[in-house]
Amino acid sequence: MGKTLFEKIWDSHTVVENHSSPSLLYIDRHLIHEVTSPQAFEGLRMNNRKVRRPDLTIATMDHNVPTNDRKLPILDETSAIQIKTLEKNCNDFGIKLFGMDSPNQGIVHVIGPQLGITLPGTTIVCGDSHTSTHGAFGALAFGIGTSEVEHVLATQTLWLQQPKSFEIRVEGKRANPFAVTAKDIILSIIKHIGTGGGTGTVIEYRGEGISDLSMEQRMTICNMSIEAGARAGLIAPDEKTFEYLRNREYTPKNFESLVDFWKDDLKTDTDSKFSKQFILKANEIAPQVSWGTNPGMTCDVTENVPSPDDFSKGDANQKKGAEKALEYMDLESGTPIQEIKIDRVFIGSCTNARLEDLIEASKVVKGNKVSQNVRAMVVPGSQLVKKQAEELGLDKIFIDANFEWREAGCSMCLGMNPDILSPGERCASTSNRNFEGRQGNGGRTHLVSPVMAAAAAIYGHFVDVRKLSLN
Amino acid sequence: MKGNIIKYQRDNIDTDVIIPGQYLKVHDYAELATHAMEGLDPDFHKKVKEGDFILSGKNFGCGSSREHAPIALSHSGIKAVLALSFARIFYRNSVDGAFLLPIEIEEDAYNGIADGDEIDIDISKNQITNLTKNQTYSMKPFSDIIGKIIDAGGLFNYKP
Repeated sequence: MGKTLFEKIWDSHTVVENHSSPSLLYIDRHLIHEVTSPQAFEGLRMNNRKVRRPDLTIATMDHNVPTNDRKLPILDETSAIQIKTLEKNCNDFGIKLFGMDSPNQGIVHVIGPQLGITLPGTTIVCGDSHTSTHGAFGALAFGIGTSEVEHVLATQTLWLQQPKSFEIRVEGKRANPFAVTAKDIILSIIKHIGTGGGTGTVIEYRGEGISDLSMEQRMTICNMSIEAGARAGLIAPDEKTFEYLRNREYTPKNFESLVDFWKDDLKTDTDSKFSKQFILKANEIAPQVSWGTNPGMTCDVTENVPSPDDFSKGDANQKKGAEKALEYMDLESGTPIQEIKIDRVFIGSCTNARLEDLIEASKVVKGNKVSQNVRAMVVPGSQLVKKQAEELGLDKIFIDANFEWREAGCSMCLGMNPDILSPGERCASTSNRNFEGRQGNGGRTHLVSPVMAAAAAIYGHFVDVRKLSLN
Repeated sequence: MKGNIIKYQRDNIDTDVIIPGQYLKVHDYAELATHAMEGLDPDFHKKVKEGDFILSGKNFGCGSSREHAPIALSHSGIKAVLALSFARIFYRNSVDGAFLLPIEIEEDAYNGIADGDEIDIDISKNQITNLTKNQTYSMKPFSDIIGKIIDAGGLFNYKP
């Protein structure tokens, strides 16, 4: 019997192979950042260990960096310490760091692909759950905790139980590719399979609805695999993948010969077997808006906020979860999504802060003004994205519309830096998690695509972007 | 291993409510513990006692990879979390650092055990006894690797 793409990458990286019990997996790339690495380095020092492959380890700072003027000092003392600690650790252990003043600084999952560090067929880990993003290139990429970060630093390997393969097929083409984005595809998938739907699996996204997507859109899909509980998500590499990676700063010199190998090897065999399958039709997907406190609590922009009974379909815990979510979100069942007014808009995060995201959002914003009651900000995913966007004049479009135009970082996705919601504030956010308090204590998050967020900023409430006429 | 239950009857308790992002800069574990579960239950640190267990539904610990989540629970006194299922990274983090035991249970234990009940967990028999109600339930056994890492006292003590 043949193998799935995931099984091929897994098998080619097992150092100790053991089919009934865990395998020791070799790690090709280890990305680190300031928040989940300090204790790992401390552990290395305590045990007098070195970093085994500093050349395969790449660091940046993203989670708690301020997104205002880079020349200003970092006011939050504990953030400043974490950033200084990462600088010292990289210096002491010989690790390449894209620091605060680097033109390559940015969200770790934005800079990896952009620099050509993320490659097809590789294993990539990072102390961050959204490492699944890199799966868009046909890499096996997943998040790990700090103990595992230390283990990878010390050994370049991890003990793992092999997950199962899960096929998600998106069939056909989207009816309106401007308004129905990759974000809407992945939110639809999570809405259907649930936040635990991918548990114990690595998802392979397949079908025309996936191969149609650009690389940046594919990253949005794989990014949120973790929100479905999957270990990782991946997409078989194709010409778009190779074209994206060609001539990046860290693309290997023997790239073209690697492409020949990847073309032959990195695909799921026709006689292989997935242990699970889910199919979605692309032309049935509408723009999505989350109404609750996990990404599975999502509906079409044309729908009303569901009742706990309708949402839970008889499951007592789901019903209780929906009741608590509505209370936290201060929403009544039956309210049309398009009547929900918002206070804040956040266009950013490793899910949706790449150049294409900003280009698409700017088309909605161009020639308009942010609604009087809304404060809106754009936080580019990396300093390079920011620079490229500025070369296209996007900064001017956003600033003219009264958006704030910020420096790169994770920012309001997770509320670690000063960019947070105040209690009770309601935000249309292009990020990945609408958990209680995620964007600030008492803050209320609605997950949407960049074009939906941009439109919400202009109108002050959610609107169906399929109905917009653009300037 | 005996202890009392703190029950949260819901699914999808995420790591952002277990330890909100603003505290990921805190390196003092005792201080971190005072913010455990703050996003869901601000009184948690007042009611939790050394040796308590948490009982909850499906997908416990979903979301971020922050190891601060099991660390905060562990340093507030929690020795085990019993749940219908766990998110993978939380599960591994709990075991890797020997912070607490993540124990997968079935519906009978989830429904049978109430907030405040005293229970006894016997890992060697994969059995949970409810001392308050005089009931027993089975727990799902640990997989081979997880059992070995637990026995070793964490990932770095594990020698294959």
